[in-house]
Amino acid sequence: MSDDPDKVWPTGLNLHEAEEVHSYLIDGTRVFGAIALIAHMLVAASTPWLG
Amino acid sequence: MFDYRTFALRKLVSIAPRYLPFADVATDDVPLSRLLRLSLFQITVGMAVVLLVGTLNRVMIVELNVPASLVALMLALPLLFAPLRMLVGYKSDTHVSALGLRRVPYIWKGTLYQFGGFAIMPFALLVLSGYGEAVDAPRWMGLSSAALAFLLVGAGVHMVQTVGLALATDLVREEDQPKVVGLMYVMLLVGMVVSALVFGALLADYTPGRLIQVIQGAAVVTVTLNLAALWKQEARSRARAQQMQITPRVPFETACRAFVRQPGKMRLLAVIALGTFGFGAADVLLEPYGGQALGFTVAETTKLTALLAGGTLIGFGIASRVLGKGGQPARLGLIGALIGIPGFAGIILSSMGGGALMFLLGTIATGLGAGLFGHATLTATIRSAASDQIGLALGTWGAVQATSAGIGVALAGVVRDIIVALPDQGAMPAHVPYNAVFLIEMVFLALACAILVPLVRKNRRGHVPIPDTTQRPATGLPNNPAEAS
Repeated sequence: MSDDPDKVWPTGLNLHEAEEVHSYLIDGTRVFGAIALIAHMLVAASTPWLG
Repeated sequence: MFDYRTFALRKLVSIAPRYLPFADVATDDVPLSRLLRLSLFQITVGMAVVLLVGTLNRVMIVELNVPASLVALMLALPLLFAPLRMLVGYKSDTHVSALGLRRVPYIWKGTLYQFGGFAIMPFALLVLSGYGEAVDAPRWMGLSSAALAFLLVGAGVHMVQTVGLALATDLVREEDQPKVVGLMYVMLLVGMVVSALVFGALLADYTPGRLIQVIQGAAVVTVTLNLAALWKQEARSRARAQQMQITPRVPFETACRAFVRQPGKMRLLAVIALGTFGFGAADVLLEPYGGQALGFTVAETTKLTALLAGGTLIGFGIASRVLGKGGQPARLGLIGALIGIPGFAGIILSSMGGGALMFLLGTIATGLGAGLFGHATLTATIRSAASDQIGLALGTWGAVQATSAGIGVALAGVVRDIIVALPDQGAMPAHVPYNAVFLIEMVFLALACAILVPLVRKNRRGHVPIPDTTQRPATGLPNNPAEAS
């Protein structure tokens, strides 16, 4: 495992594994972002805080 | 000089694996505490169901003045996703991951959707009901956002439950599966009962602010419990990741067709549909029935639900014991359905002069039958699934079960309303529409029995006792690793 050229130091994951962990982070951020956006629009519709 | 960089990196490397949500090694023996932790996801599922079907149902109609038909439509939306459970289960079976994970990614995604739905739901409902400045907001905004919120929660619940059950099945040995099924059902029930009490107490004096707090609190609890549930449950494995890369992919349709064509599979699915339909409507109709036909007070009818749940719990306990000792799921399912029929008969007779005692006995019997039946059919589903098709099997079970339970509840309400609205009803007693529904349920349970009887007969004739499941004492003893595989 240690002579794996794809290894990403210092986590011990290889490149594909690191990319997969990263993809969960990206997906989560996207979903949370979209949810927050919709929630803010709805709150603004019922109790406007911008003018 | 002190080398901070090396020190920090070394520290990071040494602590990192502990803070990753994946188990480092797969162990043969999964302790009960870990299974208990995994079953937390069922609590969030129960919470979501209660919040949608019970709490929000009332809040939307009573406090937010949303038309009842629109509420019913919104609450039916999550049902649309029930058939997709098959697809989710199949995808988790055939998931390709560099980390070797199959179930955890889907539980996490489902949790995200469930959280997101709850996060926007209170605002969507307030906009839908025209709270504050939202009176001027266009109508489509409230409608579409509320529909989105319910769809997200529904999709999340279906994903979490299907894949969570598949993960639980992956983790334990075959002879322990009945115990896990019982544990999962009990946790679902606990989640439903506890959250119903908590939501009821919190929303006793309703304000819009309180509604937002309660629903978003549910969202946070969902994420917390689900994260705790899936933490370090599934092992990270490079060997499995490599195997995933080279395994040929079977298309969804082919897999489904092959799955349904297994001997006895369609029969089992039909039994699950009929039986769940038969037992399903009891939960929603027992309370109004006790109130309208037998003159119970609100406090008394609430205790009815507790009684029904108590009977169900006893059913789960008995089923776990019997099936854990190597009992036949089909036979136990038949017994459950057979107990349910006189249970409903008792409930019907109670309003025709049988009295309250008969009603209570009927309620307990119905709960007991539902517990036995639910446990037995889920265990049968798991036992008959190949290890690379557990997700698909549980997805099919969930799709059939959730769809027929939903249709059962909806149809119970519709049939009752139709009979109430019949033109000539001058002298009709209050119990007639309810008894009509209970009678329909008895018919469906009888149909389920009729399908089960030949299955049980066949099993008995061709039954070869499996020595390791029947003879081995309960857990606690070191097991032979050769058997565990």
